[in-house]
Amino acid sequence: MNLKIHNITGNYAISADHGQQVYDQIHSELLDGRAVELDFSEVNVFASAFFNFAIGQLLKDISPDDLNRLLKINNLNQNGGTILRQIIENAKRYYADPEYQEAADAVMEEYAASFEA
Amino acid sequence: MLVTHRTTGKTTLYVSTTEDLPRHVDRLFRLCQDIEQLPDTALDILIDFHYCNFINHLGVAFLGGLACAIQARGGRLTFDWETLPKRIGMNLAQNGFLYSFGCEQYPWDGNSIPYRSDLDHDFTEIGDYLRDKWLGKGWVNISAGLQNAIAGQVSEIYLNAFEHSRSPIGVFSCGQHYPRAEMLYLTVIDFGIGIPNSVRSFLQNDQIPSTDALEWAFQAGKTTKQDTAVSRGMELNLLQNFVTQNQGSLQIFSNDGCVAIDHTGIRYENGYTSFTGTLVNIAFRCDETYYCLTSEASDPGKPWF
Repeated sequence: MNLKIHNITGNYAISADHGQQVYDQIHSELLDGRAVELDFSEVNVFASAFFNFAIGQLLKDISPDDLNRLLKINNLNQNGGTILRQIIENAKRYYADPEYQEAADAVMEEYAASFEA
Repeated sequence: MLVTHRTTGKTTLYVSTTEDLPRHVDRLFRLCQDIEQLPDTALDILIDFHYCNFINHLGVAFLGGLACAIQARGGRLTFDWETLPKRIGMNLAQNGFLYSFGCEQYPWDGNSIPYRSDLDHDFTEIGDYLRDKWLGKGWVNISAGLQNAIAGQVSEIYLNAFEHSRSPIGVFSCGQHYPRAEMLYLTVIDFGIGIPNSVRSFLQNDQIPSTDALEWAFQAGKTTKQDTAVSRGMELNLLQNFVTQNQGSLQIFSNDGCVAIDHTGIRYENGYTSFTGTLVNIAFRCDETYYCLTSEASDPGKPWF
């Protein structure tokens, strides 16, 4: 499957809604082991919400190894690449490591409790 | 400054001089607080510019938002344009503020970046505004790629304002180019609940000081969005990294807290007059030599995941 992102986002890959549209189209393909190519040509401006929804949440139920094998990212500009790498790191810790999720939740609880009188 | 006339019951809002000084920002917040305390029946307000010698982009965006907040409460506003000093009038005409509030003077191109108010987040319109009206006017010596990168970072501010603030009257922006300082400024304001209040609500703890709440919000992966199981919370962290790496500056005033970020680091302060919403003032250099973008992303051999 080859998906041209510009057809969904136009010049600006910013919104969570557009990210979700991308995710909805590629998730089942990847889950079934089929290769997906995302073509980012003509998309110029990127924000984290888009990548969190389009790509970050793939890590919920697909392993990094499988994504490296199946998902090809083409024509992504340097800034988009920088944001995507940070999003992936954040998402990997969040989804792939239940201990991290538990620890993160515990820290938040402790943090909240530390301010209780 | 607000003055209510005893005989008529009408209130006059005297617009004061506004530069980038924190005390000027604090004065705007006090004005907002004073207006919030007026009963709806007393919201017949004359806006007078007699005591205003200069109003910067931040003041313009704030005044526009404040005017809309008054109107949203059913208040009646009258701008006394006769009191507007000529130099300020030219600036407000150029950036479209006058046109937005009923004058028939159309805006034109200049050093001011247009005033705008947005009730909804139209990504394309705001993106075009950032790229064409703010960054792309030939006054910044930066490549198209860097313009896109900055536009993306500033989009994070708008995303934050629209998604988290719950501002009933939308988001207000205005910018300015300062040729001598070679800096480009943009202020984005919402009149929502504020970042500290949003964090307190999320953590279900109303005792958290604003500085601590702001610090929490700037950590990677922290978000107050609860409506999805998607990993989020990178917006402010990404913005912070970008600004500190590229010699820009970022000030965020929200509730009674403030975050100031520049290449020397990040500072959190309490003690400002409490503003219900969030005011973001961001500045970037106009010269590409100040920028340092990572090239890690272009490494084709490195796996993405």
